[in-house]
Amino acid sequence: MGEASGKVMSAREAIEKFVHDGDEVVIGNYTVGSCAELVYEIIRQGRKGFTLYSQSGIFDVEVLVAGGCVNRLVTTYVLRSGGKKGGSAVERALNAGTLEIEDYTNFEYNARLVAGMHGFTFMPVLEGVRVTDIFRKRGFMGENKFQIISCPYTRREIVTVPAATPDVCVIHVQRADTDGNAQYWGAMGSVAAAALSSKKIIVSCEEIVEHDIIQSSPHLTIIPAYRVNAVVEVPWGAHPTEVLGYYNVDTFMYNGLFTAAAATADGLAAWMDEWVYGCPDRTAYIDRYIQRFGVETLNELRARPLYSAPANYGAAFTSHWDHEGRERSMGVTLPQLEKLLKERGKLYE
Amino acid sequence: MSKPYTLDELLAIAVAREIHDYENVVLGVGVPMTAGALAKALFAPHATLMMESGIVDIRPLLSLNNIADAHSARGFSYATDLFSAFTATYRGFVDVCFLGVAQVDKFGNLNTTVIGDYEKPTMRLPGSGGAADFIAYSKRTVLTMRGGTFVNKLDYFTSPGYLDGGDSRDRTGLFPQGSGPSALISTKGVFRFDPATKEMYLAEIFPAVDIESIKKDIPWELKVASDLSVTQRPSDEEIDFIRNFAPELSAGRELAADLRAARLRNKAEQRARKHVS
Repeated sequence: MGEASGKVMSAREAIEKFVHDGDEVVIGNYTVGSCAELVYEIIRQGRKGFTLYSQSGIFDVEVLVAGGCVNRLVTTYVLRSGGKKGGSAVERALNAGTLEIEDYTNFEYNARLVAGMHGFTFMPVLEGVRVTDIFRKRGFMGENKFQIISCPYTRREIVTVPAATPDVCVIHVQRADTDGNAQYWGAMGSVAAAALSSKKIIVSCEEIVEHDIIQSSPHLTIIPAYRVNAVVEVPWGAHPTEVLGYYNVDTFMYNGLFTAAAATADGLAAWMDEWVYGCPDRTAYIDRYIQRFGVETLNELRARPLYSAPANYGAAFTSHWDHEGRERSMGVTLPQLEKLLKERGKLYE
Repeated sequence: MSKPYTLDELLAIAVAREIHDYENVVLGVGVPMTAGALAKALFAPHATLMMESGIVDIRPLLSLNNIADAHSARGFSYATDLFSAFTATYRGFVDVCFLGVAQVDKFGNLNTTVIGDYEKPTMRLPGSGGAADFIAYSKRTVLTMRGGTFVNKLDYFTSPGYLDGGDSRDRTGLFPQGSGPSALISTKGVFRFDPATKEMYLAEIFPAVDIESIKKDIPWELKVASDLSVTQRPSDEEIDFIRNFAPELSAGRELAADLRAARLRNKAEQRARKHVS
C-alpha cells in the first residue's frame, strides 16, 4: 500500500500516461473547484480531438477550447465572459466551425453519467424537455441524443438519454490518500457520477493524507481507491476557482483578469501564454502569481477553519475477546476453545 | 417615508415577497439568492433554501458566487447531489424556483441558450443549466429580469413556460397540473399570467416608473391589470438587509463594475510603485 501503489505522480506524468488524443474526457468538478492544473497540463501537452463533457463549463472549458483540444462539447452551461459585451472561446469556435456542441439540461446531462456510473445503458429523464429545442435540436448525437421508450409497467412514454462512459475523468478534490481514496465535500453536484462513470480517473488534491484519516471519515470519500489511476498532489490546484476549506475563488484573477481577457481571442491567447503555457507546473504558476500580485493577494484567499462535527464511529468493543481473554459470547479463552475443538475431533493434523 | 432605494434593490425585495414561510425554495445566483436570504431573515424563517448543486437548507452569510458556493454559507443541513436535487423537484417537493431571463415570450417561455443561429450564434448564452428542469416541475416559477428582452418568438426554446398559452401546458400531460411561471419581476414592475389565457400582463408597477417605459420594451400589445397597483416601497429593514448582505447588488451592475475596475487599477499601480521603490 502507500507509495507502493505507484499511483502518486506529477500532473505531467498523469496526463502523459492516461489522457490521449481523441479521448472522451469529462471534467469531474461542477461549477466550483475545477481541476485547473490538470486542465492546464492537458493543454500544455497539446492533446487534441476530445469529446469533452462538462456539466458547467467555466474557465476550464474556455481554455480547453481555446487550446484547440476539443472537437465536440457535451454540456448544459457554458461561461460567457463579460456578459453581453464579451464573447467566449466556445462562441468563437462554434462560429469558426471548429467545435460542435450538444446541449442538455443539468439533469439530463447528469443522468447520462449516472447511467454510465451504474453500468446501465440508458437512464429515464424528466419528460418536460420534449417541448423544448433541447430535445428537438440534435447535434452530433443525432437521434441518440434522446430516445423515447414505453414504460413496461405504466405504458407511459419515457424520455431517455444514453449512458456516457468517458475514457478519462480529471477531477480535483480536497484530499486523498496515496492509494487514491478521494475525499470531497461541499456542493456534491455531479462530481462522483462524473468520476465513477469514467474508465480512468485522474485525481488531483490539495493534500495527500494518511490512510487512517480516510478510514476514520469514509463518508467523505466519493471515489474509492480501486477506481483511481493517478493521484496528483497539487496545492492551489483549482486556483482561480475555490476549494472549500482551503481557499476562496480569486475574483481578482477570475473576474478581473480571466473574464476580461477571454472576451477576445487575442486576449485569451495572451492570458494563456502567461498562465498556462508560461508555467510548466503549478509551483511555477503560484510563484508567478506571487511575483506579479504579491503573496498577500494569495493569502487573502486562504480559508479560515470551520470544522465539521466529528461523526462518532465508535463501538462497544473492538475484539471478540474480553479483558480476561474470554470470547464474549461463548465465554471461553482461545486455548480452551482449541482444547475443545481437539476433544471433539474437529482438528486435523 | 422610508429611505431611498435602488431599482435593483426593489427588484430583489419584490422577488423575496414571492417566498412564503415553510416553502422549499430553489435559488439561483444573484437576485434570487439575495431575495431568499432576505425572505428567510425577515419573514419566512422556516423556508428551506436550496441549490441544484445539492446544498440544502443553507444559512447564507453572504451572497453566493455561484450555485455550488458553499463558502458563503454558515452551514447547510443536507449535502445531496445534483441528480437527487432534480428528482426531488420532479417528485413535487419544490414549491418555488427562480430563473433569470435572457429572452422571454408572452407566455413565459424562455431562451437562455443562444441569440441568433444555434450552430453559428450571434451570441452564445450559457444554456439551460437547470432552468428547463426546474420550470417544468417546480410548483411555481418566478422569473427575474435585469437585462433580458421580451420577444415575440424565441431564438431557441430552452425552458417551457405556458407554451402556446391557454391550457396548452397542462394538456401535454408532461408537467404537474397548474405548474409554470407565476410571475416575472423586472426592475420596473411585476408581471403575472392571466389564469385563462396564460398571457403575461402587468400587475404591479414600481413607484416612479411610468407605464410607457415598460411598454416600449415589449413587442406585443401588453395587457395591463385593471387594478394595476404600485409596488409597496421597501422598508428600511429590507433595504438595510440587502445593502449589508449583497452590496454589489445595491451598487448595480454598472457602478459595481466601475468600482471593481478602479480598484484593480489602483492595486496594479500600488504594486508598480512598490517595485520601483
